Amino acid sequence: MSELLGKMSELLIAGNIGEIRKVTQEALDWGVQAKDILEKGLLPGMDIVGQRFKACEMFIPEVIRSANTMHAAMDIISPLLSESDTGGIGTVVIGTVEGDLHDIGKNLVAMMLEGAGFKVVNLGTDVKPQGFVEAAKKHSPDILGMSALLTTTMPKMSETIKALQEAGIRDRIKIMAGGAPVTQDFVEEIGGDAYGSNAAAAVEEAKAFVEK
Amino acid sequence: MRVNIMDQRGPGFRVLSEDQIEMIYSAALEVLERTGGRVFHDDALDLFRQSDAVVSDGNRVRIPASMVERALKDYPRKITLGGRDGRRTLHLEKDQVNFGTGSDCPFIYDRKTGERRRYTFNDVAEAARIADFLPNFDFFMSHGLVSDVPKPKTYDRHQFLAMVTNTTKPLILTSVDGEGLRDLYQMACLIRGGEEEFRVNPLFIIYIEPSSPLHHTREAVEKLLFSADKGIPAIYTPCPSAGATAPATIAGMLVQDLAETFLGLVLSNLRKPGMPLIIGGVQTIMDMMTSTYSYGAPELSLASAASTDISKWLGLPMFSTGGCSDSKAVDEQAAVEATFSLLAAFLSGASLIHDVGYLDSGLNGSLEMLVLCNEIIGMVKRFGKGVQVDEDHLALEVIDRVGPGGQFLSDDHTMEHFRKDFWLPNIMDRSNYEGWVAGGKKTLKERCEEKVQHILQTHQPVPIDEAVMTEMKKIIERAEKKAR
Repeated sequence: MSELLGKMSELLIAGNIGEIRKVTQEALDWGVQAKDILEKGLLPGMDIVGQRFKACEMFIPEVIRSANTMHAAMDIISPLLSESDTGGIGTVVIGTVEGDLHDIGKNLVAMMLEGAGFKVVNLGTDVKPQGFVEAAKKHSPDILGMSALLTTTMPKMSETIKALQEAGIRDRIKIMAGGAPVTQDFVEEIGGDAYGSNAAAAVEEAKAFVEK
Repeated sequence: MRVNIMDQRGPGFRVLSEDQIEMIYSAALEVLERTGGRVFHDDALDLFRQSDAVVSDGNRVRIPASMVERALKDYPRKITLGGRDGRRTLHLEKDQVNFGTGSDCPFIYDRKTGERRRYTFNDVAEAARIADFLPNFDFFMSHGLVSDVPKPKTYDRHQFLAMVTNTTKPLILTSVDGEGLRDLYQMACLIRGGEEEFRVNPLFIIYIEPSSPLHHTREAVEKLLFSADKGIPAIYTPCPSAGATAPATIAGMLVQDLAETFLGLVLSNLRKPGMPLIIGGVQTIMDMMTSTYSYGAPELSLASAASTDISKWLGLPMFSTGGCSDSKAVDEQAAVEATFSLLAAFLSGASLIHDVGYLDSGLNGSLEMLVLCNEIIGMVKRFGKGVQVDEDHLALEVIDRVGPGGQFLSDDHTMEHFRKDFWLPNIMDRSNYEGWVAGGKKTLKERCEEKVQHILQTHQPVPIDEAVMTEMKKIIERAEKKAR
């Protein structure tokens, strides 16, 4: 059994989508629990992907391929997971702020968060402050992530935080921000909780929040 | 289907037109007929006297143009070498570029103290290990001069041992004299398994240096004649210094350089036609402020590229220069000069580009510069691959698949191409500001130093055969006893 799970990790790292479907089904046929497939097969694999990305041994397209491979396996085991299992290690609501249509970086963060075991609610681009508030009310996330690529849309991050305060839910959520022009100083200035200078760093920050 | 498509690879760089090459070539022939050169070797003078050449004033040799033109026909356009493991990896052919170190730097900066000191056997061994590891080095010269030997006149044998035991890449060697070359050759034949095997798959090229202007020393000629006898590939290359040992004009320097090379070419042809011969060498200016023989001058790159154009026209492999600097440190000047000369030499299509990693105008053989230049060569090679234009690379399918507003990051086409089409940096830092700060704000030099440490800690070359090693050491011992 552990051999099959180990193989799943390897397939995930290699980004072999076709093969992971077969092996996931095979594992289920052998009687492996879906929860074990997730926690002992897929997540350890994604953990290695994250480490290799950080060590410059894997590159963005390969990380995305691995994330998509994870999705393929998740499609098979999701129906078999209990509600508490699918919640993963935490929930993240993520989106690009109002007026900004850039989403490659934000999607990369979302994918890597999923790979790390988070449940991610991706709101897409051009999300108004009120859009973040509504999503936060609906999904009760542990973390809310905002992205901006344009310096002209950065002020929307501050507005979003204010809207969350006005709705009275700011203190229940950790707020993270990122994007090319965003800096640590800026995030502190607008009253955010954490900044990730790249996707891998963002995942580390997010993990630190839920592990506390 | 399209027909008559011509693919361009790289910018099609050249610095001399065919007419200009003809003019320089004719001028070199004129120098040999009118001025000639002095040859300090009795057997060589006898060979010239028995030919159509004219020997006067004791050792002054003048050579008719026809002898050069006849001799030129006898030399191979293609030379192939194998490393210690026999693999034929070094191909000297038109526009086939190979990179490697230089030779015999007296100094190195001690990695622990940072102080400048003399090169040792162990330093050369370490340089060899680094060149063995770095993928953009195709051949190895000693980088440093082994100084910790019992007798200085046998340094060449020890140096060869340090080199050949620490890399399996093909080598270019220097030797003290003809005796030295004979020993190096015998040592190499032990590795190869005999003279015949060496002849068809040589392990090393011998570097021979006549003295500009127009002097051919006894040692240089000894080595040349021995190489002709045995079929050892040889570089016969004066190191002219424009304004000091050659005319101050680049064309004038090229004419004199060529005349010096042609004298060697005719001589080796008189001894035994057809040896593998390589032309070129360091061609640069003397700095008129400091008298330094400049390794960072743009004139070096221009003269070397011009010389490469001539070499291709003649059908002889070219020994060019790049990746070297006048700077005393691995600093901005070193990076600028090394990048400039590597790009120019690469685009010129020279067969061998040497002196990669020199600092201090060829006096300091830096290990960190090897790492830095490996990176620069990577960039230069990527540039030289040019733009591939075909159905797959035009990517119409993927443009349509992704569509307006989509992204290419997760497409299979990106996955297939980015690793082969993108050059992936190793030393160059592309992290964002926070990443750079978090990594300790490391400078280029610090990153190179770390890489050197890492290679020396982790990379071990394929070990050399013990029995061969023992026999090679016997040759060295014999030389030690004989030397005074």
